[in-house]
Amino acid sequence: MLEMRIHGRGGQGVVTLAELLAKAALKTGKEVQTFPFFGVERRGAAVKAAVRFDSQPIKVRSLSYWPDILVLMNENLLSLGLADGIAPGAFIVANGEKRLPVDNKQYLVDAAFIALNNDLTFGGEPYINVPMFGALCRVMDIPLDIVGETITEQWGAKKAVPNIAAAREAYEAVRELEGGGAHA
Amino acid sequence: MKRILDTGNAACALAVKAAKVDMVAAYPITPQTSVAEKLAAYIAEGEMDAKYLPVESEHSVMSAVSAAAAAGARTFTATSSQGLLYMHEILHYAAGGRLSLVMANVNRAICAPWCLYVDHQDAVSQRDTGWIQLFAATTQEIYDSVILAYKVTEEINIPVMVNYDGFLLSHSMMPFEIVDQEIIDGFLPPFSPAWRLHPQWGGTFGNVTPSDQYPPYRNSLAADIVKAGEIIEKNAREYQRLTGHWHGGLFDIYRPEGAEVFLLSMGSMAAEMELAVDILREEGVPAAGLRLRVFRPFPARELCRILPGGARLLVFDRNHAFGTGSGALLSEAKAALFDRKDVIKVTGQVMGLGGEDLPAAYLVQKAREMMGVLK
Repeated sequence: MLEMRIHGRGGQGVVTLAELLAKAALKTGKEVQTFPFFGVERRGAAVKAAVRFDSQPIKVRSLSYWPDILVLMNENLLSLGLADGIAPGAFIVANGEKRLPVDNKQYLVDAAFIALNNDLTFGGEPYINVPMFGALCRVMDIPLDIVGETITEQWGAKKAVPNIAAAREAYEAVRELEGGGAHA
Repeated sequence: MKRILDTGNAACALAVKAAKVDMVAAYPITPQTSVAEKLAAYIAEGEMDAKYLPVESEHSVMSAVSAAAAAGARTFTATSSQGLLYMHEILHYAAGGRLSLVMANVNRAICAPWCLYVDHQDAVSQRDTGWIQLFAATTQEIYDSVILAYKVTEEINIPVMVNYDGFLLSHSMMPFEIVDQEIIDGFLPPFSPAWRLHPQWGGTFGNVTPSDQYPPYRNSLAADIVKAGEIIEKNAREYQRLTGHWHGGLFDIYRPEGAEVFLLSMGSMAAEMELAVDILREEGVPAAGLRLRVFRPFPARELCRILPGGARLLVFDRNHAFGTGSGALLSEAKAALFDRKDVIKVTGQVMGLGGEDLPAAYLVQKAREMMGVLK
């Protein structure tokens, strides 16, 4: 089983990101599960969700302690994410530009810039979950056509256009970095 | 049939729609809320030909669906925790009145103190209301159990509560298969009760009853609910024949081959328990999982039949039966096994209250502690 844990803040679309990833992976023939953790439900509060992928039905009904992939909706959630635990050899996928100060392999994408670039905003804030979805699909080897198909099914053809564009941009822009030294 | 990814609450609402329910009354409460929301949307958008009655409390919800059922409607409601407790008085009324009702209870802890997360205290505290109680462990089982519940309640005229764990099942997304409408229509024909209230036919319901007439009503409910186990199993088999879906009979038994140590639990923790059984088996412990699907009527005979002589039974309760020193499943299991002539060792622990996380490694640790007690 491959386990992912996403850390974000209320309003960033963490639960929807988990859903999109599970739906895309389901299309590739995987068994999947999203496992959101609901704490204080308000904008800006720290939120998290697990997504599990496997070749057989998933029996786990407990929280994620040792994810193979740690996803940070913002690079400043690193300490919070690490404090909840990760698997040995886990890699990190983060919205940000700067190399994270940890030894783990990491994938970075400037999801906020891509969202703004594609007019994905609400109240001036960028919608970063769709670019993060694109980047994560690239990291997980999910084909680009499945990314588009998943987005279209989620929001309909018209609304899908800018979202697919943003996801594609992130899919192409995400870059892999080796670890950048001990955690500051 | 179509396989989709969605939450347990969505699976529940889709099953209610597929069951062609006539009337829904609900009052929102976390973590049940999205069931009520989805059904309200289906009805408002014309996807479901039903009446939605928004009322001011759960006591009124249960009164409304009871009255509608007495008038011959196929009804639905869903609740959680304090909402279920607020229904308590009318739960007795519905069962005593032999009404065909289905309710989803999205399990959540009871206050005080206030808590949003899962345990089974809400359902267990309604044990003696005369309702049948089912427990699910996957989104597919939620969907299938709701359909099955209508079949059972309309055959035996005893209300059915379909329980599933708050958040762990209600908000977690897992793939499940939507059954073709024709298959469901074939399994579940339109509701036509033998008796119902009607302004032109007269008759009363739940009237004042003298002492010589009262006991037969209550005693027949007590006798009939015991028979419900067979009816549940029979209809689950029929549903399996039509859909291929099978979640077990009254128990879902995991790895029974050569088993001597049985881990009994219900709800979502029983799915994780299978991982615990795998770990114990690898360590050489002849363990099996016993997932209770039907809490009411408690399948005492089946439990006796499943356990071989000399078996050890470890009970994992997500509730307290206050005053017994343990949880309800342990009390029930001990009572069920009392008449066994051979020795079966039984012990149990209460855990997982208020959403306390129960990963497989923790369940294994608890199983080891319990095996230590039985030595």
